[in-house]
Amino acid sequence: MTREWWKHLVLVLGAIVVLAPFYMMVSYSFKSPGEIDRGEGGFFGRQETMIDPRCVALRQPGRAEIEDASSRFPGQDDADVQAALLAETENDCSMRPVVFNYTKAFTEAPLLRYLLNGVIVTVSIFLIQVVVALPAAYALAKLRFWGRETVFGLVLFCLLIPVHAIALPLYIMLAKLGLTNTYAALIVPWTISVFGIFLMRQFFMTVPDDLIDAARMDGMSEFAIVWRVMLPTAIPALLAFAIFSIVAHWNDYFWPRIVVTGNRDLFTPPLGLREFKGDGDGSFFGPMMATATVIVTPLIVVFLIAQRRFVEGITLSGMK
Amino acid sequence: MADLQITSVTKRFGETPVLNGVTLDIADSEFVSLVGPSGCGKSTLLRVIAGLETPDSGAVSIGGANVTTTRAADRNLSMVFQSYALYPHLTVAENIAVPLRMRQLTHLQRMPLIGGLLPGARGHRQSIAAAVNAATEMLEIKSLLDRKPGQLSGGQRQRVALARALVRDPAAFLLDEPLSNLDAKLRVQTRAEIAELHRRLNATFIYVTHDQVEAMTMSDRIAVMMGGEILQCATPEVIYEDPDDIRVAEFIGSPKINILPIERVGHQLQIFGRPLEWRLPPGSPQIMQLGLRPEMVHLTKRTPRLRGRVAHVENLGAEVFAHVMVDDGAMRVTLRASPAEQSMLVLGAEVGLGFNTRAAMIFDADGKRLRKIETMVGTAVEVA
Amino acid sequence: MAVLDAGAITQATAGNREARTAWGLTAPALLLMVLILLVPVVVAGVLSFTNYSLGNASFDWVGAENYERLFTRSTYEKMFIATFTYVVTVVPISVGLGLGAALLLHSLGRIGDIYKTIYFLPVMATLLAMAIAWEFMLHPTIGMVNRTLAMACGTWLEVVPFVANGCAGGFPLWLGDRDYAIWVVCFIGIWQGFGFNMVLYLAGLTAVHRELYHAAEMDGAKSAWERFRLVTWPALGPTTVFVVTISCIRAFQVFDTVEAFWPQGGGPNKSAYVMMFAIFEKGVQQNLIGMGSAITMLFLAFVMSLTLIQRWLVERKVHYG
Repeated sequence: MTREWWKHLVLVLGAIVVLAPFYMMVSYSFKSPGEIDRGEGGFFGRQETMIDPRCVALRQPGRAEIEDASSRFPGQDDADVQAALLAETENDCSMRPVVFNYTKAFTEAPLLRYLLNGVIVTVSIFLIQVVVALPAAYALAKLRFWGRETVFGLVLFCLLIPVHAIALPLYIMLAKLGLTNTYAALIVPWTISVFGIFLMRQFFMTVPDDLIDAARMDGMSEFAIVWRVMLPTAIPALLAFAIFSIVAHWNDYFWPRIVVTGNRDLFTPPLGLREFKGDGDGSFFGPMMATATVIVTPLIVVFLIAQRRFVEGITLSGMK
Repeated sequence: MADLQITSVTKRFGETPVLNGVTLDIADSEFVSLVGPSGCGKSTLLRVIAGLETPDSGAVSIGGANVTTTRAADRNLSMVFQSYALYPHLTVAENIAVPLRMRQLTHLQRMPLIGGLLPGARGHRQSIAAAVNAATEMLEIKSLLDRKPGQLSGGQRQRVALARALVRDPAAFLLDEPLSNLDAKLRVQTRAEIAELHRRLNATFIYVTHDQVEAMTMSDRIAVMMGGEILQCATPEVIYEDPDDIRVAEFIGSPKINILPIERVGHQLQIFGRPLEWRLPPGSPQIMQLGLRPEMVHLTKRTPRLRGRVAHVENLGAEVFAHVMVDDGAMRVTLRASPAEQSMLVLGAEVGLGFNTRAAMIFDADGKRLRKIETMVGTAVEVA
Repeated sequence: MAVLDAGAITQATAGNREARTAWGLTAPALLLMVLILLVPVVVAGVLSFTNYSLGNASFDWVGAENYERLFTRSTYEKMFIATFTYVVTVVPISVGLGLGAALLLHSLGRIGDIYKTIYFLPVMATLLAMAIAWEFMLHPTIGMVNRTLAMACGTWLEVVPFVANGCAGGFPLWLGDRDYAIWVVCFIGIWQGFGFNMVLYLAGLTAVHRELYHAAEMDGAKSAWERFRLVTWPALGPTTVFVVTISCIRAFQVFDTVEAFWPQGGGPNKSAYVMMFAIFEKGVQQNLIGMGSAITMLFLAFVMSLTLIQRWLVERKVHYG
């Protein structure tokens, strides 16, 4: 330990740089605009109640309200009533900064809807990828048929093509089909994962033929073998692939940015955050960082819980 | 070449003691095998000698110099590893040259390109090439020089590992189960070759194995280890014929030695309740154990010492091993018979067994050899 | 004879049946592979020779004009400079840091796990969100970075020219400064990617046979550096090839940070105008699909040749048989 202090020094410095933006993101999501501006308040901010200026502006008492309310304040002139009403409004509009930031995050934009979209898109992509890739991988690994080498060669070739790189022609094709601004546009280009086919095929190669022959002896069809014999054996590889796929598509910004324009109902979390940034001004740092925290948190939490699985998954997919 | 002394070495891994005060002297150019079941500490002892493990207490000295705290790289020892540990990215020739390059060339001289231009590098390089050449010639692997380890068979890798060990002129060669990854046929062949190599190099060899046949066939002396201790260290003949401890007797020899319980009743010795004609010296323990090698037991019709039924017969061609159930089927005695006697060995048939009392070994209840009683019994019988 | 024939026939039909099932099982994947991956490459190839725009009924063939522009216009020169600056900076540094961190963590054993978790966080986090966080960090007046730097003013740290200049004339604008913009993007790329490389290297390190280190010690490799050269580095060869390739491909695809920082134009003076952003800007935003397709084709050529080099290396060089 004593001889290794320099290692810890280096690693701690690295950790500080790595964690700095996370620290700042979470910290700002707790603080009031003033504290952010002045750079004070430590990590949690002082959490003094603050008044939401927009809320107050929206509820500025007009002529009618003052007249309505004058009965509640007998013997006072209009100016006094107005002042009293204003005080009430301010009272209603005041809250702790952390509450303010997170309520704003969820009310200013339909953040819940974005999160739901994110779940729908990532889960659909993963499920379709498995449904398409698993049978193909099985056939390529375990069945003998004329043209197998050609098909596998095609898979190897397609591994060279990153989908992001051909985003433009894909976008044109989807536009021609009238599919932009639909869930389909978000999902379809990712339904085929050649990487998934390759990974699963390599995994199936290690499954003994005897297992499949035994299933055939038991009278299973090839289709049943794929889903009832191969799928259960492939769980570790599938889990690795799931991690890869879900992390990539939850965090993807480029593709949604291209095919979803304007229609907020289809926004994925990164798009939602982007829009927030686009129309926010300086005073909105707090809520924006709250949004960012909300978007980043799910994956991080799952990662912290199932860390070993994640790292294994990443390395399994990396090592081929 | 040098002699080695290991003095009261202890080593524990966490809470588990692995070596409990091992002392062993190895003479110059001797071939000593460390043999024992897995987990007996033999590999750890070898690694302590190598310097890859530091002992908790005790000392190791090579050629009279205490090297207990010297690091492995400075002990001038060569080692052949169980997995061969060849560098996968280097060719056979480069692998064999590594020990020389590391020791003879400086950092700069080892650099690619410029290294060759430095003064002195060329002479070193030539001498290294010559040494590599000599080593590969000795092990008949000259045709493999440009291959990578991945392209070699197990036996070839084993030879390369040997060549890498003997390219230098170390104080001693350490071999850690070098044959355990070979198939049975190759193992027998390589066994003979290593023994021959030892004679030719006239160097000190320390050889770790769990295979008693390897130890018996190759060594000048065998150190039988169990539970982190050396039970006995002696020549193969002594280890086989005159073991100090019942565990040594049981570990060495195939088929295993027969161990039968014997009991003293008064002055008489009984086996399975039947008296043996031996007379015992006073002060002998009550319960003892009798060790009989299978070849010491023979079939007899006249006054057999034991009776039993044939339970199983193994015909190996040149010899026949029979398992006979004695003591109403409670114990099994293995005996070696000649093929001519096979007609008597019908399954289930009752046979009589005899044995030569001079060859019998007597151990106490804890397994220590009782040589004093043996000699007295021997003379007693002769008198009788 | 008759029995033999019957046997042969059933075998043939069994073979046919197996082939038919196999084609049935691969058909969906094949169809999608062709439609989603191959057809677009062809489409992009064709369109790169046209002046097509979405919404236009027709288009003209313009020959190699798009490619000619690509290699003559200063905008695209900036695009190449930005892209290659990014790749050439991010790949070696993120690979080197990944390796360094992996070696340190490996030597520490279980105690190092906490660092592993921390260094892997950026890989998991949504890059766009983290880019925005970094943008705040780098805010010229209220950002944490410049505030931290300002704390050094008036201390002995002012001997560093950078600090002295900053204290006197203000610290850099970072994202607004054309001299810093691309380097900031590079920095975030490294920050985000090295943890991934580290994890791959850690897996590579655990696969190194321990007896090799003992053999190296016996062979006289005394220093840590000699053992690294003799055992570790060669053993990590396949990992390195993979890590470098995947880092290159990811580096070529940098987009999120650039778009988040500069939604228009690709940074001050187009200093961070990377290829993916150019494809997005030309092809999607400005509807110049011919131009966008030409960049796409070039991009594909880079990425494909990189992967081919990797495969060749894996098969030839680092594969120890």
